[in-house]
Amino acid sequence: MISYLIRRVLMLVPVFLAVSVIIFLILHFIPGDPIDNLLKVGSSPAARAEMEARYGLDRPLPVQYAIWLGKVLTGDLGTAIVARRPVLDMIAQALPHSLRLGGLALLFSSVMGIGLGVVAALNRDRWPDRAIMGGVLLGSTMPSFWLGLILMLVFSVWLGWFPVSGARSWTALVLPVLTIGLGGTALVARITRVAMIEAAGKDFVMLLHAKGLSPLRIQLRHVLRHALIPVVTILALRIGWILGGAVTVEVVFARPGLGTLLIKSLSQHDYPVVQACLLMLAMAVMLGTLLGDLLQAAMDPRVRAALA
Amino acid sequence: MTMSFRKSLLAASVSLAALLGAPVLAQEATFVFATNEVGAPTYNPIKATNLNAATTLIFDRMVSQAADLSYHPWLAESWEEAPDGMSWVFHLKPGVTFHNGEPFNAETVKAWLELFKGSENAYMAEAIASVEVVDDLTVKFVMSRPEPNLLYNFSSSYMSVVEPKSYAALGDNYGVTEVYGTGPFKLESFAVGQETVLVRNEDYKWGSPLAKNQGPAHIARLTFREIAEDSTAFLELKTGGVDMLLGVPADLLAEVQKEANLAVLTLPGQDVYYMPINVTKPPFDDIRVREAAAKAINQDEILASVFGGVGSVAHTFLIDALPESHVADSAKISYDPVRAAAALDEAGWVMGADGVRAKDGQPLKVSLWTQSDSSFRRLTEVVQAQLKAVGIEAEITTFDSSMIRDQYKTGEQQLAVRSYNWDNADIVDWFLGGDRLGYPNVSMFNDPKAEELRAAAMTGAKNMDERVKNFTAYHEYVLTQFPVAPIYQPVTSVGYNSERLAMPAELNAPSVGAIAIMDMEVKE
Repeated sequence: MISYLIRRVLMLVPVFLAVSVIIFLILHFIPGDPIDNLLKVGSSPAARAEMEARYGLDRPLPVQYAIWLGKVLTGDLGTAIVARRPVLDMIAQALPHSLRLGGLALLFSSVMGIGLGVVAALNRDRWPDRAIMGGVLLGSTMPSFWLGLILMLVFSVWLGWFPVSGARSWTALVLPVLTIGLGGTALVARITRVAMIEAAGKDFVMLLHAKGLSPLRIQLRHVLRHALIPVVTILALRIGWILGGAVTVEVVFARPGLGTLLIKSLSQHDYPVVQACLLMLAMAVMLGTLLGDLLQAAMDPRVRAALA
Repeated sequence: MTMSFRKSLLAASVSLAALLGAPVLAQEATFVFATNEVGAPTYNPIKATNLNAATTLIFDRMVSQAADLSYHPWLAESWEEAPDGMSWVFHLKPGVTFHNGEPFNAETVKAWLELFKGSENAYMAEAIASVEVVDDLTVKFVMSRPEPNLLYNFSSSYMSVVEPKSYAALGDNYGVTEVYGTGPFKLESFAVGQETVLVRNEDYKWGSPLAKNQGPAHIARLTFREIAEDSTAFLELKTGGVDMLLGVPADLLAEVQKEANLAVLTLPGQDVYYMPINVTKPPFDDIRVREAAAKAINQDEILASVFGGVGSVAHTFLIDALPESHVADSAKISYDPVRAAAALDEAGWVMGADGVRAKDGQPLKVSLWTQSDSSFRRLTEVVQAQLKAVGIEAEITTFDSSMIRDQYKTGEQQLAVRSYNWDNADIVDWFLGGDRLGYPNVSMFNDPKAEELRAAAMTGAKNMDERVKNFTAYHEYVLTQFPVAPIYQPVTSVGYNSERLAMPAELNAPSVGAIAIMDMEVKE
């Protein structure tokens, strides 16, 4: 198990390097650069060249990449070119907001998704199943910015229950959490339902029935535990996607966070900030995947046995 | 007995409620920045390239500018310019102090201007060779060359007067964590991209004479929020979450006007929409084809159909408020389909059966670039139809707004539809100067006579009148060469909650900043 853990962590190194190259290249191949956002009407062409040199943008791309990576590996995310402050400070301000939003959304979609999935599986092909799966389909196909605006219209404008936007109070978190969480709920509910139905057909379940245990007890104590393995894996994988999915939601609800920081910096071509934000999101996905694999290994005796 | 007890209990609870409620309701307001000001990273005017409206409340400026763009006193009570333009004397207002208690005087002006050397905005003060302190409240600027634009620079928020000692002490944190000006509001907190909270400067009594109230401000506490998404900002205004949007996009204007509790305040705009014409790309290397394309644009139709009649048409490259926009009528560019057709005939482009002109078997097909924002796409489609009406077939290509500048730098564009926001005639130099081809000079315009006139306009004038004359001549000549077709001038629309805010009856300012906000009140 320990050697598996070490192997999995070591595997992240090449993935990290590849991701960093891709992030760097994509960003630098997008037409435009941060200097355009620093030049005001009246500045001379010489001022432009001088600024490019100041930020090292006149150097060859591989050199720029090597310098950036070297600094990142020592924990130095650099200084924002347009925003002119340490990138680490900007990330440190934004990240807690994103983690809070993403964490609550993940919690919401886990509890709701597993609950709905169990109810649907227990009522397979009857009306509660159809209703839940219909709602799930609707929830998983709605774009989050649109869903966000609809929730805003209903709960803030018509009912006046929550603030429209911002991050001044806990109530302001409700609608963004719902917006992100509803999409996740759909996914978790579907997987829970399928896993429950599949597990219910296994031999050990028949044995339990033969032993005379109550069907509900079998479903909740044994089938659900078995079915949770893929569900937990999916939830771990979603950690990264939740942070990524929060980007548009943060912008719609005008909340601080990695998403608003990323979008603003992207439009200003503020390379160091965008690179840092994308790296954070990529690392969240990578760590989520790692966590998913480890949880699966820990929970599934067959995987555990294969690793030993 | 019981009755009176109840009464006094009631009275007590009412006064308690008033006590508790008062600080919440009294003169507090929340505004939302216009979307182009979202994300302004600092309140350091000397290093900033993008400053938001709150900057105008933290700092004062030497000179204030009225709605007609004329110059008026502020921290400078009066000024004199030497006849040769080589020196200026400014007389400062007495009794002005910065938020940290430091006095404002001739010494601080000298120290403040020193800070510009080597900074991002150095060019704003570069014509000032040295600053002489004549007495405590008199300062003399010795110029390296005449700079008739000095009053404009002193009225710009980039020349907001900062407190030099704290500026030096705070270094990079100046404008981010702390900031000290002489303005009607002090910075309480600033979260970039999120919100800025300002509190009233109780000592303030030196506001611009253009405002009725010279200080202190009526509003005690002012929060500025940054909301990038227009529809979110509108819903906040509608539900009373905020009291004012400093910029209402054209497509939400009707929605704001529909609401009973909301009102729209209209100010003269500082944008011009125009069509650059690349003078180096055939067929537009022929001035007659450029003239035809420019005169094919029906500005009145665009104003009515695309912008709902809000704003005004543009016939020159500059906003109407600038004196340099007053060029000879013959140089103004207006819709003239007859002349457009004649010019194309002269150039040898013959109308074909399919409505597209052709010459030597080549159809008159050109590219028309614009940015992806929906308002630009709508406008560009109308421009396309208008070009088609005189026999020019234009194919539209849209680019992401953040990337189109680099596309322009390739010089491959033929026609484009874009806009700028500026309130000084030097924008002609910026967008049509021969040393900035591609971008900003999308028209790739580099004409020897224009360059001569440009030099005279930029650095050849000794005083304001001469500068206006030289810039008018430069602007006028440029228009006769058709590197651009002017289209439209929008207005700035500010949306506010009329149940919450009392607006001044008259607003003598080019935009909603310190002058306007000094006279605003929260209704109680």
